[in-house]
Amino acid sequence: MPLFRKALYSTDFSPLAEVALDYVKKLKEAGEEEIVVVHVVDDLSVELPDGTDLIKEKDVFKILPEVDQEYVVNLIEKLNSIKEILEDVGLKVKLYLKYGNIPKQIVSVADEENVNIIVMGAHGKGLLSEILLGSVSTDVIRHAKCPVLIVKKREE
Amino acid sequence: MLFEKVLYPFDMRKASLNVKPYILKLKEAGCKEVHMVYVMIPSEWGLLSREEFDSQEKLEALKGTMEEGFVDGLLRIFNKMKEISKEFEENGIKTRVVIIPGELDEVLSWYADKYGMKLVAIGITSESLSFFRIGKIVDVIKAVKEPILIVKTPEEEDGEV
Repeated sequence: MPLFRKALYSTDFSPLAEVALDYVKKLKEAGEEEIVVVHVVDDLSVELPDGTDLIKEKDVFKILPEVDQEYVVNLIEKLNSIKEILEDVGLKVKLYLKYGNIPKQIVSVADEENVNIIVMGAHGKGLLSEILLGSVSTDVIRHAKCPVLIVKKREE
Repeated sequence: MLFEKVLYPFDMRKASLNVKPYILKLKEAGCKEVHMVYVMIPSEWGLLSREEFDSQEKLEALKGTMEEGFVDGLLRIFNKMKEISKEFEENGIKTRVVIIPGELDEVLSWYADKYGMKLVAIGITSESLSFFRIGKIVDVIKAVKEPILIVKTPEEEDGEV
């Protein structure tokens, strides 16, 4: 059974997301072959349709204000660095840079790519939702159809 | 050793049984030890101090303080967990089966700290995270410091094992 064959790695480029990356690499030993790396941006200076893919949709990129373009280019560079790291250990990698609601977009890509597992750091964006429901991670767990591995601290 | 020691909370439901294949697969990524823990929630089993019941003898000794029917129920759970854990042993994973009284989140977080667990692998149903039953599982997710693998089972596929 391909329990860990295809993983979605959600990153916000935080130190905790870097720790989660170690788990993504380690899962290769348990049969992981392919990684879908996802970063969701929700803080551009303009509103875009939820789910816009800032890597694939070049026309959208062109209409962004310069400050947002620089920001997006920087994010794509960061994603490419992660791609290199994962390819170096022999994993096949696909990148997504999505705009919109963070947990919703993570789950949407997981569904679209039919991944076996989601790996992410426990980031709790949104104070109100943290109080009412939990964090981004909790929302991902709630809506994901596949298992979710939440990394909460550095391995000691 | 990211997956060396796995804490496997078990509640006698299919949702928790569905975690087992994932732990077995993690052996290839370094899993050497599994601790199967059944948490005796006070509201279900009465008040007992936090103790680790990891043998039939320890459970039998409870017959002096608890109703015999309750203790027999615990023995059934313990023996069922022992039976389920055999597959881990057969695959070269060292296993401990233990029943502990207390609140789920407190016991799991305390146990993970005490024994240096590297991962908590927990099975839940889709409904466990719905608005009306949000408490227990979210409390576990918040309380446990270790990485946590959550395996979901659709409500309609859940049931007692």
